[in-house]
Parts: sequence; C-alpha cells; structure tokens
Amino acid sequence: MLGGAFSAPTLMAMNHWEQATSPTIEGAAFSLSDTHRKIVAEIAEMIIPRTDTPGAKDAGVPAFIEMMLKDCYAQSEHLSFTEGLASMEQVKFLELNEAERRGVLKYLEQQTKEKMKAMPKGTPFWRLMKELTLLGYFTSEAGIKASFDYVQIPGKLENIKLKPNQKAYAY
Amino acid sequence: MNLTIKATKNNTFDAVVVGSGMTGGFAAKELTERGLKVLMIERGREIKHIEGYDTAMKQPWEIEHRGKTTNVSAEERWANSRFWGLGSEEVVNHLTNDKENPYIEKRPFDWIRAYHTGGKSMHWGRQSYRWNKQDFEANAKEGIGIDWPIRYEDLEPWYAHVEKFVGVSGQKEGWDVLPDGHFLPPMPMFAPEVHFKKMMTEKLSRPVTIGRIANLTQPQKVHTDLGRASCQYRSKCARGCPYGGYYSSLSGAIPAAMQTKRLSILHDSIVSEIIYDEQKKRAIGVRVIDQHTHAVTEFFAKIIFLNAGSINTAALMLNSKSNRFQNGFGNDSDQVGRNLMDHQLGSGAMASIDGFEDDYVYGQRPNALYIPRFRNWGNDKQTAYLRGFGYQGGASREGWESGVNADGFGADFKKSLTKPGPWSIRIGGFGEILPNPNNRIYLDSEKKDKWGIPMIVTDAAFVENDWAMRKDIIASAVEMLDTAGFKNVTSYDRPTHMGLGIHDMGTARMGRDPKTSVLNAYNQVHDCKNVFVTDGAAMASSSCVNPSITYMALTARAVDYAVKALKKRES
Repeated sequence: MLGGAFSAPTLMAMNHWEQATSPTIEGAAFSLSDTHRKIVAEIAEMIIPRTDTPGAKDAGVPAFIEMMLKDCYAQSEHLSFTEGLASMEQVKFLELNEAERRGVLKYLEQQTKEKMKAMPKGTPFWRLMKELTLLGYFTSEAGIKASFDYVQIPGKLENIKLKPNQKAYAY
Repeated sequence: MNLTIKATKNNTFDAVVVGSGMTGGFAAKELTERGLKVLMIERGREIKHIEGYDTAMKQPWEIEHRGKTTNVSAEERWANSRFWGLGSEEVVNHLTNDKENPYIEKRPFDWIRAYHTGGKSMHWGRQSYRWNKQDFEANAKEGIGIDWPIRYEDLEPWYAHVEKFVGVSGQKEGWDVLPDGHFLPPMPMFAPEVHFKKMMTEKLSRPVTIGRIANLTQPQKVHTDLGRASCQYRSKCARGCPYGGYYSSLSGAIPAAMQTKRLSILHDSIVSEIIYDEQKKRAIGVRVIDQHTHAVTEFFAKIIFLNAGSINTAALMLNSKSNRFQNGFGNDSDQVGRNLMDHQLGSGAMASIDGFEDDYVYGQRPNALYIPRFRNWGNDKQTAYLRGFGYQGGASREGWESGVNADGFGADFKKSLTKPGPWSIRIGGFGEILPNPNNRIYLDSEKKDKWGIPMIVTDAAFVENDWAMRKDIIASAVEMLDTAGFKNVTSYDRPTHMGLGIHDMGTARMGRDPKTSVLNAYNQVHDCKNVFVTDGAAMASSSCVNPSITYMALTARAVDYAVKALKKRES
C-alpha cells in the first residue's frame, strides 16, 4: 500500500524499522537521556527547519517538548514517546543522512496514521512530536513574529480582503 | 474599593448580599443606588478589576504551557478542568480549586465554580438573550413542573434596564422567539456566515443572527463613567479584560455600587447559615466563617439577598435549620435543592467550506452566530421530546493547528502554515432541560468540609427528553451544514454530564403555591419575606437561551420590590 510512494532511502529505513521491535519501558518519572534529547531536537528541526526564518531549535522547541510532556501529559504518553525514541535509536537515526532521516519520518508518519485509527492508549510518538513541535514553535516569540502578522491589540474587527501572499494574523 | 470590615465594629447593615457574582453584583448595585447600606459577602479571595487580571496582557509565549492544562492543575481542578481549557494557566486562577472545595457526586455533575470577586461573571460566555413569552408559559401549558408566577411583560422593563447598564451588542430581528432588546451595534458576520444565513433563511426558514453579547461595540456614557472602554477584539475575555470591554460584576455592578459609597465587601468569608429569629419571624442576619482563620462572625440586616450561585444558595438554605425551619430554611415545600437544571451542550456538527479564499478578518471576534430555537415552535411539532435548543457557532479560517493532523514536515510545510488556511464552520447546541424533582443537590448527613459545613451531594442526570433532543441537535446541525453546501460535514457528541453548560439553576424555584415552590413572584422566600433569592436557583424552567441577563433582570426587579416594601414598612 505504501511502497510506491517511497524512495530507496525510505525503503532502507523501513527495513531498519521492521527490525526494531517496540521495546517496553517501565513507567518512571519522565526524563530524557542525552541521546534521546538529541533525537528530539533533530526531528523537531526536520519538522520546522531553519529557513529564511528561525527553526525549531532556534525557538527553543526541543526543551519545550520535554517540559510539556513532563508537565501536561499522562504516563501512557510518556511511555509511547520513550518507546518511539528507543525505536529511533535502534534505527540509528542520528547516524542516518538527511535523505534517510526524511525517509524514516515519512514512514513513521504513515504508520502513525494507521496506529491512530486503532485509538491507542498513549498518543503515538510521531503525533506527539508533531503537535508539540508546532505548538512550541508557532507560539514562541521567534516563531510567531517570523511566521505571522502578530497583533496584540487589534482594537477593531473588520471583514477584509486577503492580499496576495498575506501572512495569517496571530493575536 | 476594598473596605475590610472589622468583625468587632458595627455589624449591622440595611442589606446583606451573599455572593459577588452576576446577580450578587447586580443586587448590590440596585440596593445601594436606592440608598441602602449594603454588605456583600464573597466566600473567595479578592480580585481587583484590572490590576488583578494577572494574565490579561501576557503574550502567547509568556503562558508557560501555552494553554494546555498541567497535570497538577488537572488534579487540583478535577471538576473545573472537565470544561474545555479551564485548567490552563490563562484562566486557572479564576476557577475554584476543587481539591480544597470538594463535593460528592452521587451522580456525576460537572460543577464549574469561581470563588472570588465577581464569581463566574469573570469568564461567562457573555451571550445575552431575553426569554420569549412562551418560555414563561410552557410549564403551565404542558403540565411540566409548576407555572411561573410571572410573565414576559413583568420582566420586560427590567430586561431593558439591565441591557442598558450591561451593554449588549446585537442585531434587532423582530422575531417572537428571540425578543429584541436595547442593543449596541452588532458585530459583523463573516463572508461564509452571510452565505449560511441566506441559505438557512431561503431553504429551511431557520433564523440566524449574530450573537447578542455583553461586549461594548460602542460604549455609552453609563459605561465610560465606570471606566469601561470598547472591546479591543482580542478575544481573551476569560482572562479578565483590562479595558472593561465586556461586562462583569467586577467591571460594572461593583464599581457602580462603590460609587454610591454605600457598599462594603467582605472577602474570604463563607456564609454558613441564615439566622432566623423565631419571635420576629424573619431572618435577622447571617453567620460567616473566615476561610483562613475559621473565626465565626455574625452580620445583621433588614433584608438578605441570596446570590451564592444556585447550588450554593440551596445548600446554604438547607444548612440553615431552626425550630421554624427544621427541614432547611424556606423549605416547607421540600423543593430546596430539587429541580436542578442546566443546558445540555457538547454536541453539534462541523464542516469545511470551499471558496471564500479572498475573505479574511482583522481582529478576533469574541462572539459567534446564534440560531434561535426552531423546534416545537410555530408549526414545528416534535414527538420525541418537549421544548427546544439553540445553536451557537461560526466560521473561521484554520490556522497552524491544522498542520498537526496533516501529512508533511520541512520547509514547505512550515511555510504553508503561515498562511490563513481554508474556512471551516462549527455549530453546537444548547438544549433546554426540564425541571425534575429527582435532579437535585442535598447535604451529606455525615461528611463535612474543612469549615464544618455539610458537604454538597450532586444527584442529577440527563433523562429521556434530553437524549432525544440531543439526537436532533446533532441531526439538525448536520442537515443545516449540508443544506448550506458545506463539505465534509461531521457530527460531534462529546460525552458530558449535567453541569457542563455552567447554567445550573432551579434549586429554589419561584411559583404561585408555597406548597410546591420556594419563592413568590418577587423572589421572596414564601415563608420569610425579608429573604430574596435572585440567582439561578429561582428559575422554574430553563428555556434554552443563556440565562445571565434573565437572572439580572429578576434581581433588579426583586430589589425594586424589596426596597419599596422596606420603605413602606418603615414609614
């Protein structure tokens, strides 16, 4: 079902993925190892890379993700997140080149869609990475100011016509 | 603005008002404006208008968890956080810590509380609709509950009085189902909403209007005199508005009462009992427990207004026992605590909207569309349920949040999320709940809170009429979005309990007969005429429109009556 859409590096990564069984992590206070922190930072930066505007790392997203998981998420999410990271470690994510990494994430994205349909107990790793990266970035000072037309006090409410290439307003 | 009363000083006032929220504030304003010296007693902490709104001007990145509820907050606010987003740092200090103020759920009830100056008026939805004539007549016609002792005409001048003071923005429509009031200019509908209104009118003959909301679109002198300014369209109302752009007890009624120099406010003070004098055959005051020191003080007054919020007002009455009222104060009818109502919400439909790509909006509208009741109205007759529901909702352009569920990552994905996304629309129902004596609160016979007051037990749930209506709320929402030509129409039905509408009411109802009701046509306790209940507890039915403006109108009317009666007695 997925095969046709993927490039060679992706398929390679998928092989790695299949070999990586989901390790079971015993529940404990949530914190990340240095390696896991690096993986989180690399994936966040791949979701929101530095372009002509700041990227996820510039906006402090990696630390935000860890803080949010610890403070706002349940143990089932801590488990699915750490399991996801362990799998990334097993495919040696940090040693892969850019194209291979992209392949892994594309595969992960499709696999997560299937997983989500089954209503898993803990939100899957990729989904957590994505929602927290987007939340962390698009609500950060650097992210908001670079991405949107930020207006703290609009002072009025008006129907307007969108100009070509106009950015969204953020408030 | 803060006059703290020394317990040892003169503890006698013309009137005591229990509660500082939507109706307590209005009672204090109306009483002081008529020359009475008033003590307002608030069980929670003091929040000062403007300076007390500690998150109001925070930028998004200054809110540490960016709107999400932390695990700690979810544990402390175990009931409050059942409502969307109420556990987040933006607003959490405006909601009660449930862990410190627990109640017992015999049947689950989502009790949303706000123990502080202004109560829930701090973060109400601000939707302000008059009841219609039928709302007051339906109980009698259908043989449900008991008849209201008043009709629309009795309340009409008081609606006008409240609307002018509060400042309600809205569009006059001339519909019987949703009587027009005194409105400030309406907020605009957005392009797809204009299309939606047109389609509903033409194809389904269902009315659609812009929400009638207590935000100032064009402040009048009565507002600016209190330091209130126009809505700034930030839509961060629940944090408290430093501009006074929306009405709350804090921005409106309390400052107005303060201007008379006749209002004193006591904070952190829980009214535990109404003191009844068996010889004089009337209430002479209230017993108050200090939140922190637990010290007990008594305050005395000629008249007492109970505005603690429906459930707490009923609990206070039930806890006030005397020789005369062995079953609880004013409770000869055994109706105190019963007939607990709310509005059901949490179901409706959403859809995506093709087109309107060039249409956009500057500013955030703190308001929505309103679709008044069309069921069991006019020629419509439902066999599955009585009464009806209204919808609130509206259209907006999607933001970066849509990226969470979309495929993709990387530079192009990032850029795509900086543009306004496609339009989508969502409407959700607010359904009328019927009075039912078995839906109730009562006091636990053994368990007490840390102030030694019996704990409140909630024992209420939706019944068949509610479930049948809910089915139709969903089906009709889908029908309407389909008929408008919108795409990917999806229904939603979030499991909820009673209470989540935050419109709890009915626990000390008005009526004609003291055998079946607690209050008379002027919100006076039948058997103790110097005590008035004018919060939601007074309601004999619930309509389907948001209730605050009706509570305030009842309050103003009752104060007018109470003061006239008092002056007559004293002259």
